[in-house]
Amino acid sequence: MSCSPFDLKEYFLRELNQTDGSRVEAHLKNCANCRQEMERLRLTEAALCSLGEEEIPQRIAFVSDQVFEPSPLRRWWGGFWGSSARLGFAAAAMLSGAILISAFTRPAPVPVVTLRAPQSTQASAQSFSGAELDRRIRQAAAVEAAKAVDQAESAHLAETRELREELKKARFDLLNVAAEYDRDTRRAGAIKVAALGYEFPKSNAAGESK
Amino acid sequence: MIFRAVEDGDLIRQAARGGVEAFNLLVSRWEKRVYNYLLRLTGNREDALDLTQDVFLKAYQNLRKLENPARFAPWMYRIAHNEAYSMFRKRRPETALDDLPPESAEDGIAVGGRSVFPMELSLSVTAALRRLSPEQREAVTLKIYQGFKFEEMAEILGCPVSTVKSRVYSALDLLKAELAPLRRGVS
Repeated sequence: MSCSPFDLKEYFLRELNQTDGSRVEAHLKNCANCRQEMERLRLTEAALCSLGEEEIPQRIAFVSDQVFEPSPLRRWWGGFWGSSARLGFAAAAMLSGAILISAFTRPAPVPVVTLRAPQSTQASAQSFSGAELDRRIRQAAAVEAAKAVDQAESAHLAETRELREELKKARFDLLNVAAEYDRDTRRAGAIKVAALGYEFPKSNAAGESK
Repeated sequence: MIFRAVEDGDLIRQAARGGVEAFNLLVSRWEKRVYNYLLRLTGNREDALDLTQDVFLKAYQNLRKLENPARFAPWMYRIAHNEAYSMFRKRRPETALDDLPPESAEDGIAVGGRSVFPMELSLSVTAALRRLSPEQREAVTLKIYQGFKFEEMAEILGCPVSTVKSRVYSALDLLKAELAPLRRGVS
């Protein structure tokens, strides 16, 4: 078991930063056991490195051949998904588009009824107490609200009346068309009956043969 | 793993724009290392060469997805790792991942024929590496032979840094017990 301030293997494998490495080196100067362990690790590494690397038997090279090159679409697609900047830009563009579409297609805003206190209330506001002022404002607001409701109701009534008139007219037209259709049907029925009941005059076969 | 990072970064940017020559230069810089990593993983030269070709082809086709050119090495080794394990699965789909890749244990890798060290030592190292589990062997390959940091290895292997550390440390303990006395004898 190592008594080093840091893992000797980590130091040996060059994974420690300079400060921690210096602490291990200082420790190694005073600890024979850890020095011995480091020596064993170095010998192991030297043995492993006795196996060198082989030369590659055949060089690998690419030529300017379409076969090796990714298609433009794949290149663009790969680049698109591989770049967070492009993805971010695309997301921002989509969001902007959605906001624009929403702005152009949303229904017209409902008219807001502004509640205004009467001029006289504003003029003499300073001479009233707080409660009185509050009461008057509420009263004025109630009056304005009632007016607004009346206006909306009358507008609604007018609209309903118009719709009813239009409906009446449409019903009248429809009835006319239906009556005309009935007349035509009856006329067609009479013609059919007459056609069925028509008797052809009996032919005089003998006379004809003469 | 960051040597020549600036130059590699420039080449990567040029290659991502379709510069084949820039990519060929990148390949020439990395092909030997990627090949040797795959050779230690597969234990077969032909497989290692085929996989190396596939790795660079995939890297070329997906280079635009690499946002940070400084992460090129772990990104490419991740492709190499996936390609190798994909090949193992295709060949023996019923085999559990824990048992992959056993080819190197069976066939052996005659790596480094021109070693300046005694042949006995090379054979002992090869035998010691065979005794490791495939995960331990790959971890040692990435750390000792390829020089990756734990964090980069975690990215390549798709596992937490703690798992990477555990694999490297346990492998080092086993190798140390077998190899340190031998190396001492040689030196």
